[in-house]
Amino acid sequence: MTAWFCPEVLLVLSGVGLILLDALAPHGLRKGVSFLALVLSISVFGWAIWSSGQPLPDSWGNLFLTDGIAVVFKPFFVLCLVGVSLVSMRYKLGTEESVRAEFMALPFFATAGLCLLAGARDFLAIFVALELVSISLYLLAAFHRTKPASLEAGMKLLVMGGLSTGFLVMGIAWLYASSGTTEFSKILLQQAGKPASPALLLAAGLILTGLGFKIAAVPFHAWAPDVYEGAPMPTTTFLAVASKAAGFVLLIRIFGLGALALESVAEVFRPILLTMGIATVTLGTLAALPQRNLKRLLAYSGIAHAGYMLLALGTLGEAGMGTVIGYLWAYLLATLPVLVFLNEVERIYQSSDVRHLEGLGRRDPGVALGVTLCFLSMAGLPPLLGFSAKLSVLTTLWSAGEIPGLIVGSIMAVIGLGFYLVPIRAMYWEREADVIPAVRFPSFLVWVVLLAGFLNLILGLQPKPIIRLVERTLAPSLVLSPKPNP
Amino acid sequence: MTWLLPALLMIPLIGTGLIALGAPPRKTALIVSLLNLVPGFLLSGVVLRTGEVLFGPQSTQAREVFPIQFTLGLDGLSLPMVWLTLAVTLAAMGVAQEGIKREKEYFICLLLVGLGGLGAFLSVDLFYFFSFHEVALIPSFLLIGIWGQGDRTGAAWRMTLYLMFGSLVLLVGLIGLVMAVPEMVRTLDWRVLTGYLKANPLAPGAQTPLAALLLVGFGTLISLFPFHSWAPGGYASAPAPAAMLHAGVLKKFGLYGLIRLALPLTPLGWKEIGWLIGLMLAANLLYLGLAALQQRDFRWLLGFSSVMHMGTVFLGLIGGTLLGLSGAVVLMVGHGLSAALGFAVAGEIGQRAGTTWMQDLGGLGKKAPKLWFYLTVAAMASIGLPGLANFAGEILIFFGSWSAHPLWVAVAAWGVVLSSIAMLRAVRSMAFGPTSKTVDASGLTDFKGFSETWPYAFLTFLLLVVGIVPGVVLGPIRPVLERFFLP
Repeated sequence: MTAWFCPEVLLVLSGVGLILLDALAPHGLRKGVSFLALVLSISVFGWAIWSSGQPLPDSWGNLFLTDGIAVVFKPFFVLCLVGVSLVSMRYKLGTEESVRAEFMALPFFATAGLCLLAGARDFLAIFVALELVSISLYLLAAFHRTKPASLEAGMKLLVMGGLSTGFLVMGIAWLYASSGTTEFSKILLQQAGKPASPALLLAAGLILTGLGFKIAAVPFHAWAPDVYEGAPMPTTTFLAVASKAAGFVLLIRIFGLGALALESVAEVFRPILLTMGIATVTLGTLAALPQRNLKRLLAYSGIAHAGYMLLALGTLGEAGMGTVIGYLWAYLLATLPVLVFLNEVERIYQSSDVRHLEGLGRRDPGVALGVTLCFLSMAGLPPLLGFSAKLSVLTTLWSAGEIPGLIVGSIMAVIGLGFYLVPIRAMYWEREADVIPAVRFPSFLVWVVLLAGFLNLILGLQPKPIIRLVERTLAPSLVLSPKPNP
Repeated sequence: MTWLLPALLMIPLIGTGLIALGAPPRKTALIVSLLNLVPGFLLSGVVLRTGEVLFGPQSTQAREVFPIQFTLGLDGLSLPMVWLTLAVTLAAMGVAQEGIKREKEYFICLLLVGLGGLGAFLSVDLFYFFSFHEVALIPSFLLIGIWGQGDRTGAAWRMTLYLMFGSLVLLVGLIGLVMAVPEMVRTLDWRVLTGYLKANPLAPGAQTPLAALLLVGFGTLISLFPFHSWAPGGYASAPAPAAMLHAGVLKKFGLYGLIRLALPLTPLGWKEIGWLIGLMLAANLLYLGLAALQQRDFRWLLGFSSVMHMGTVFLGLIGGTLLGLSGAVVLMVGHGLSAALGFAVAGEIGQRAGTTWMQDLGGLGKKAPKLWFYLTVAAMASIGLPGLANFAGEILIFFGSWSAHPLWVAVAAWGVVLSSIAMLRAVRSMAFGPTSKTVDASGLTDFKGFSETWPYAFLTFLLLVVGIVPGVVLGPIRPVLERFFLP
């Protein structure tokens, strides 16, 4: 019975509850819907950690499993939701204020989809869960019905998302055609040791294309900057962190450890993934250099990070998977607080241009320090957590002998500092404080951002906890141990 | 006693915290730097008696995915470097003025730069060795960008990106070094690494690329030609205390790393690319020496001359003798002290006369005899006047490298000539002759009292001590170098 209290069910119930509250409760109570959403997300996060490792209800059949990846990534996604709820709560909806409850509830549904994805062991489950995420996100991106930028973002996401889903479905269909099943372990069992058939390779290619859109890898990246910029901030947050992480979890599940973790497939896809990684890192880094809008800057920085993860993933070994998982945590801890911060900037100035950061180092030293630490962690500067993540990417590439990826990755890490220093420069050295309007950020922001900044610093100096987490995620006894058939 | 090692790092860290919370910045920074000499003294005693102090977990046999361990260590080779850092940090805090704009951040950045250097010299684990050096990167960026002069923006960006580039090449080299060791004994502890690779040397084919990577990586941090162009401009634009710390301390990190890691671990690769290093060091000495001759701004002259002397240190490194290597360490210390003194004096002249253009200055000797004295000491040390530390180092290097590389020694001798011409011309035009209009107009005054002179006197005193009794450096480093380089 307790199996029904899994994070997925709780998330859906919370989402439904928020909408019902809005519909039925008296007006006075409705004002608290944002705060309630934050409390609910935090409670589910606590529960997700507390109850981790607990299997899903039996009646859900063989579609899901509870392995290390599921155990570790469900809290990961719910933590993203906490951040998104925090951003949503502080986000001004303007004319759409009357439907705030939906705005708060939709991320819950999307997160439920992500949690299902984390434990999926069957392509059908993946497809259904992914649609739950995507449709919620289409709504969220176009939430400002009257703002052209938001509508454009929603439209782009819809078209691109639809396209990527199309590729994915096509891939799944080919996979089914070539192996007669959609379940990971059966595909693996059936194809092991055989040379890869063209149909299987085509299927893998189509699936990679579909997921390439999700992680915004070159050449499927073009939607990201426009959507990040135009969509409401909470949606950007969700896309930048949770959605990208989900794409990588799926890549690990499918290519790294799961359905298509076959040497015959890897032979073909290793060079493809590495080339994609090199292109993604290069484009993300170079395109970020001229950006002065911080949302666009983060979009390109996210593309570059996806490139580093693809490089590590492209080695298709267990070390590479561990690296990606660790990298995702580093990415989450550095990017989420910056997005929370940007939301406040946008709330005050109605834009996230870098010049709004000028003089922040004097106006609000705490916030400035925290944001600086997060940006430096993204840049991969020791002793912050981002450095350990990049270090393990480089180490993985070196031990796999992938020298081109290693060279490009290192050079781009240097160039990357060029744009991560832009906001830092603005905060600390551009203009004197007296020409800047004395706007104060809410006090909670200092604590959130400083906490995250120091977490980056401490985990960077002592990355053991993250390593333990990665080890737990990849614990061999858990990965792909098929659940005994009932 | 081992807890004194983390104390060396904690004291400046607490200092930055106190300043951030509102303690008077300059006073706190000074007290902290002075206080840090105490563990320094105590630890020196221990090291001289026992040879080594270690703090933190010792390398265990338990295999880890990512075997990093926060271990600090101090031995005969790191001891002079730590002392250099402590001394230059103290002097830099003495030179830094009170009442500068955004004083709080200024002193925090300075303390962090010093802390980065100290941590790097104390780290035994390669992860922390590398990380601590990078800690100094962003404070330097801000120091030049906010409080610098001239083309500060360009200088700050150039320096930061260049150093990041060097660091990443270095990082790849270090990864290669660690990965070259079989997985069962893989470790980031350089003591274990050195021991293992000495007993089981790498194949010559594997050593050359690693040596090249480490050369480019460390070489960029040292500003070896052709990776030098960040240095002169960066030093010229940086505020005096930042230039002191950077030229005096952080640059020595690269040399220290070469002596500690690159030379003992990839000796054959090092021999293989020796000719290339020879060419690079010759370019450092002659090309940058000639460039130094062309400078009209005293800061830029100091920048170029500080870069050019790195060529001489490299000569000691490739000489392949203990004598040359010991000379290199002595010159590292001497150069650190003399560069710090030089940049401090240049900052003071700029402050008091309003310019460091040598043609606009003149007659300093008459107007400000104390300032003139320290200017001359810095110039003479840089030239290599006997009795000052640099001479001791240079002469050991020349003797030590003669047998292996007579040609490069001859080149280096010409470097000394170029450096002398440049420095003597600078001293002549600034210190002697009639008092210039600018100096007159600025109402230049000399140092007043102990509170203004002591940092200069302190550095001069150390230069003399190391110059007259080079044994204070040679003694402790000898056993370490013997362990590394004798079969």
